[in-house]
Amino acid sequence: MTQLDHGKFSKMTTTFHTLLALDVFVLFFSGYSLMFNDELWWMVNLMGGATGVSAVHRIAGAGLLALIVFWMLMMVTTDTGRGNFREILPSKGDFDAFVQDVRFLLGSADERHPNARQFAGGTADEIPLLTYIGKGVVFIFAAELTLLTISGLLIWSKTGVMELMATKTAAAAFVTFHGLLGVIMLMGVMFHIFEHGFHPALYPVEVKAFIPKSMIPEQHDDDAEGTGIERLELSPSWNMASTVVGAMTVIGIVSVLLGSLFDEGYPVPREIAIGGGPTDILLTVGINMGVFVLLLGLVLQMYGNLLRVRWQKQLEQEASEPTTATDGGRVESEE
Amino acid sequence: MSYREHLPETEGYPRAAIAINALVAIAVTALILWWAADFAVFYEELFRIQPVAEGANAGVGSDWTSGNQIAWLDFLIAITHAADVIMGVFILFMVFLHWGAFRRLASRMRQPGDSGSSAVAADGGQVEGGTTAGDGTTTEDAAGDTVGDDGGETA
Repeated sequence: MTQLDHGKFSKMTTTFHTLLALDVFVLFFSGYSLMFNDELWWMVNLMGGATGVSAVHRIAGAGLLALIVFWMLMMVTTDTGRGNFREILPSKGDFDAFVQDVRFLLGSADERHPNARQFAGGTADEIPLLTYIGKGVVFIFAAELTLLTISGLLIWSKTGVMELMATKTAAAAFVTFHGLLGVIMLMGVMFHIFEHGFHPALYPVEVKAFIPKSMIPEQHDDDAEGTGIERLELSPSWNMASTVVGAMTVIGIVSVLLGSLFDEGYPVPREIAIGGGPTDILLTVGINMGVFVLLLGLVLQMYGNLLRVRWQKQLEQEASEPTTATDGGRVESEE
Repeated sequence: MSYREHLPETEGYPRAAIAINALVAIAVTALILWWAADFAVFYEELFRIQPVAEGANAGVGSDWTSGNQIAWLDFLIAITHAADVIMGVFILFMVFLHWGAFRRLASRMRQPGDSGSSAVAADGGQVEGGTTAGDGTTTEDAAGDTVGDDGGETA
């Protein structure tokens, strides 16, 4: 067992995560190929020009709206939802985990705090449902998605916002606000992909988000000390892969940040700005690297689902074999 | 179904709740989008030329050149720019923090091709630092858990 010993989410949650990820990726690809159209012109063409991109963005937006409303209802109307919500409220342990992570990086702490551990090893029970990063992701993404949905709805029909805001300029300013707001989430998702794809023990994808808890056998190695990470073998490609994708993540984040400052897309520029488009070759390369990280995230999330399917098949196969676990022990699923 | 027999009981979400909430969510979405689309009913008034209008937005097309006159919307954009920068720097810090932590964790793991002497191979594969020259059978025995040794490292 290397990766599957820390199942945490229910089947509904893992399915929701997949749908939300797919939808948000489509929103990013369509939305930011519009906002950074100078740098991502190829993506606009790929989605059928300005008309096609807007249509794709709106369809995905409708999907996001449905997903958000569904999730809010589940959190409010079910016991599990309310219970899980209590578990993700930030605690002092989360702040401690952040501080300890800094100390761990600097070498003054030997272990990561339980609230920071993605790889739980033998002590899974002591590890909270989410890391402090996981909680931050949930809260920041929730706030972002809410604001993006509201502003997105207001500009769904531009004439609608014009009616509210009196001028076309003001309505277009709302589009700018919507795009700038999403940049925070764009950067956050790049980090999210790096964090969950490139943990050395879980590389290339952390499967807890894809394989539901109900499909993962529990193991209680009471004699095991620590996380057991030293018993795992590092993948030969981890070093190179984490370095390349880490660099791309950093370059991508910096580039969309700069892009959002230069290319603000404000309807009436305060001064005439020349360039910032294909003339700015570094920005073009950087933003495309960021988009590549997103594409990689899309691939990894497909791979996570592929693993779930294969895992389920294996479980079904083992269950149908009468010789399995006749000694009363649990099935050893070593690989 | 049957494959779950040996698996632990877990607390999931009730099926009925999922189904009902999904339906409600789709209905609410349809309603909201209907409402959003209905905004467009008054578009005619918006595009009407108002040559006698006075003030900052007077004249044909002047709303495009005079810029956004709504102060709070301007402020909203400014503050979002600031939030982008602050959050961007923070996220970058988080990337480096985790990148570093991952490298520390990776250095604790058994390195690729390292046939590790410790007590892995609980499945009866070879454990001892023997590994002499017999590469044929031993690697197959232990293929389940240990190394996946390609032999290249030791040569």
